[in-house]
Amino acid sequence: MKRYLPIIISVLLAASVPLFANGQKESGQASGQQQINLGAIWWGSQTRDERTIAAIKLYEKDHPNVHFTYQFAGWNDYWTKVTTQAAGKNLPDIMQQDYAYVTEWTHRNLLTNLDPYVSSGVIDLSHTSAPYIDGGKVDGHLYAIDLGANSQTWVLDTDAFKKAGIPIPPNDWTWNDFEKITMELHQKLGIWGMGPNLTDEQIWKSIYLGLGEWGYAKDGKSVGYSSDKPFVDFLNMALRLQKAGAIPSESNVITYLNKGPEQLPIVTGKSAMAYVWSNQIVALQTAAGADRHFTLHLLPRIAGGKSSNYIKNGQFFSVTSQSKNPKAAAEFINFITNSVDANKILLAERGVPISTIVQDALKPLLSPADAAQFNFVGLVATAGNSSPTPPPDPTGAANVIQNVYQPQVIQPVMFGNITPEQGAALLRSKADAILSGKQQ
Amino acid sequence: MRNKRLRANALAGYLFISPWLIGFVTLTLIPILAIMVLGFTKYPILAAPKWIGLENFRYMFFGDPRFWKSVWATLYFAFASVPLKLAFALAIALMLNLKHRGTSVYRAVYYAPSIVGTSVAVAVMWREIFDSKGLVNGLLHVFGIPSQVAWLGNPHTAIWTLILLVIWQFGSPMLIFLAGLKQIPVELYESAAIDGARTWKRFTRITLPLLTPIIFFNLVLQIIFGLTVFTPAFIITSGAPLDTTNFYALYLYTRAFENFQMGYGSAMAFVLLLIISIFTAVVFKSSPYWVFYESEGPKR
Repeated sequence: MKRYLPIIISVLLAASVPLFANGQKESGQASGQQQINLGAIWWGSQTRDERTIAAIKLYEKDHPNVHFTYQFAGWNDYWTKVTTQAAGKNLPDIMQQDYAYVTEWTHRNLLTNLDPYVSSGVIDLSHTSAPYIDGGKVDGHLYAIDLGANSQTWVLDTDAFKKAGIPIPPNDWTWNDFEKITMELHQKLGIWGMGPNLTDEQIWKSIYLGLGEWGYAKDGKSVGYSSDKPFVDFLNMALRLQKAGAIPSESNVITYLNKGPEQLPIVTGKSAMAYVWSNQIVALQTAAGADRHFTLHLLPRIAGGKSSNYIKNGQFFSVTSQSKNPKAAAEFINFITNSVDANKILLAERGVPISTIVQDALKPLLSPADAAQFNFVGLVATAGNSSPTPPPDPTGAANVIQNVYQPQVIQPVMFGNITPEQGAALLRSKADAILSGKQQ
Repeated sequence: MRNKRLRANALAGYLFISPWLIGFVTLTLIPILAIMVLGFTKYPILAAPKWIGLENFRYMFFGDPRFWKSVWATLYFAFASVPLKLAFALAIALMLNLKHRGTSVYRAVYYAPSIVGTSVAVAVMWREIFDSKGLVNGLLHVFGIPSQVAWLGNPHTAIWTLILLVIWQFGSPMLIFLAGLKQIPVELYESAAIDGARTWKRFTRITLPLLTPIIFFNLVLQIIFGLTVFTPAFIITSGAPLDTTNFYALYLYTRAFENFQMGYGSAMAFVLLLIISIFTAVVFKSSPYWVFYESEGPKR
C-alpha cells in the first residue's frame, strides 16, 4: 500500500489543480495599475436591476479606472447570500442595506462608519434634510445612506369610491371610519372593500405608532406597547370584515402572501382599497393600466391617536467593513445620491431621492404614478401627518414575524381557532422571549 | 503474486471512484460531522458559534410547537404520497408493459412530468392551477359546480395539492418498475395460463411476488424523498396555512437560512437524519418477511 501512496496523492493533487489555477487567475487580474475593482450587491426587481446597472455603467464611463462587478437577488435570497458572504469574508464593497438589518450588521462590525467621508466631503449631504439621513444612523454614527424615502400608504380606487358614492375620507380617518367605508364599499359594489394584507405585521407595528409607542421596545428586548387592547380591537374588526365578506377570507389571504403588488386584487378591480409601500404604487399603477385612478392615502389611525405614518428610509447603500477601497465605494455612493444624471436613470424606483436638488430635477420627468409617490411622501413629511420615525427592527424581529406573528397568531385567529385576546397574549409572551434572547 | 495483483486491482478501483469519494467526503461527510457539532451551539452565522449544550434539542422537543407541526405535516405527506405514488407508478408500468404500438412514445410522455416536475416553473404553474380563480375552479365551473375554494389557502386541501404534485411525478419509480417487469420470465406466465390462472391471479401470484425487490427499492427511495420534501412547499405554499404544509426540510431551511439560526437548523438536520435512518431501518428489517428473491427458491 505504501508504494502506491505517492500515486494516490499525485492523482488527488492533479484533480485539484483546476481549483487552484482558478484562484490564481482572479488574484492576478486585480493587480493592475491603479485599477480599482468595486463590488456591489442589491435586491430588487427586474426594473431595479436594469436601472442600477445602467447607472453603474454611467459611473464607469466617467471613471475609467473603476471597474464594477455586481450581483443581485430577490429579497429572501439576498439575505441568505450576503450572510454567507459575510461569514466567508468575501462581501462586496457596497451592499444594499435595509432598516430591518442595519443595526445587527453594524453591531457585528460588518459596516464602515461613514462619518469621516461625510465630514471630508466625499459624500455630500448638504442638500439633504435630517429625517432622510437619521434612519441610517446606528448609535449616533452614520453607517448607511438612504436611497429613497417611502411611507406606508392606503391606495384608494377613486373610481370605485365615486361609483359607490362614498367621499374620500379625511387624512385623519380612524379605524372605525375604515371599517364603515369597507363595509359600505362591499355592500354597494359587491367587491372586497379592502385587499388581502390588512393583517400585515407592518400595520400591527403602526397601530401602536399612533399611540406614541411601537411594535418593539426602544432597546429591542421586548414588544414596545403597554396594552394589547388596540391590537385585539383591530383583530376583532378584521374578523367582522371577514365574516361580512368585505375583505378576502384568510384562506384567500394566504394565496396572496408571496405575490407582488402587481397581483393585488385592486389591480383587477376586485377590491377598492389596498395597503402598500408608497414606491410600490408605480408597479401597481403599471399593472392596473393608465386608465385607472388611485389616490394615495394616510393609514387609518386609532381614534384620538396621532398619525400611524412615518417616513421610512426605504433602502440604503452601505460600505462593508470587508471593502479594500472604502473611499472609492463612498465616492460611488455620493454619485448615486447627488448625481442628477444617475437619478434620471434610476427614476426614484427605490423611493423619493433624498437630495432636494435631485428631487427638483426629476419632477418634470415623472409619470403620474411617480408624481403621486413624490407628493405623498411630501404630504407625510408635513407636520401632523406623520409620527417620528421608529428605531430599526431589533435583532430577532424576523424570527418573531416568521415563526410567531404569521403562523401562530394571525392565521389561527383569522381561521377562528383562537380568540384575538389569546393571539395578542401569545404574541406578547413569545415575542418577549425571542427578543430578550431567552429563546430561539 | 496473486495477492499483489488483487491489491493493485483494489487500488485501481479506489482511484476510479476517487472523484466520488472526494465529493462525498467534502460535500456530505464533513457537513454531516459539522452539523453534529453545530447542533449543540448557538450560531447566528455573522458571529462565531457558541456552545449551549442540549438547549437546541430541549427547545425543539419541548418549546417549539412549529417543530411538532412540521413533523406531523411531513409524516402525513410521506404516508399519503408514497403509497399512492408507487401504486400509480406500478399501474402505469403494467400498462406500458403490454405490447402495443408506440409504447416507447408513451413511456417518454409519462416520464416527462418527472423531468420537469421538480422545477420551479411547474411549482409556479401548480400555484396558478389551484388558485381561487385557477384552472381547477374553472373546470368545476364548467361542470356546473361553482367553486370559490382557495385550494392552497384552505387548511384541509393545501397539503393535498402538494401530494397530487408529487404523485404526478411518478416517472422514475415507473421506469424502475418497468425494468423489473421485463425481468420476469415469460415462461411463468405461460405455464400459469396453461394451468388456467386468470389475469388477476397471475398478477397477485407471479408479478407482485417477483416484483417485491423492486417495490422494496422504490419504497426506500420514495420514503427518503417524502421525508425530505422541500421545493413544492417552498414555492407553492411557503408552509401556510396554519403550518399544514410547513414540511420539516422547509422549516429547517427557514430557521437556518432565513432566521440565521444555524445552530438550531443543524440540530434539526441531525434529528431528521435520525428519523430517516429509523424509517429506512424499519423497512430494511421488515424486508425478509415480504421481499422475495427469485434465487431463494420456494419457501416451505
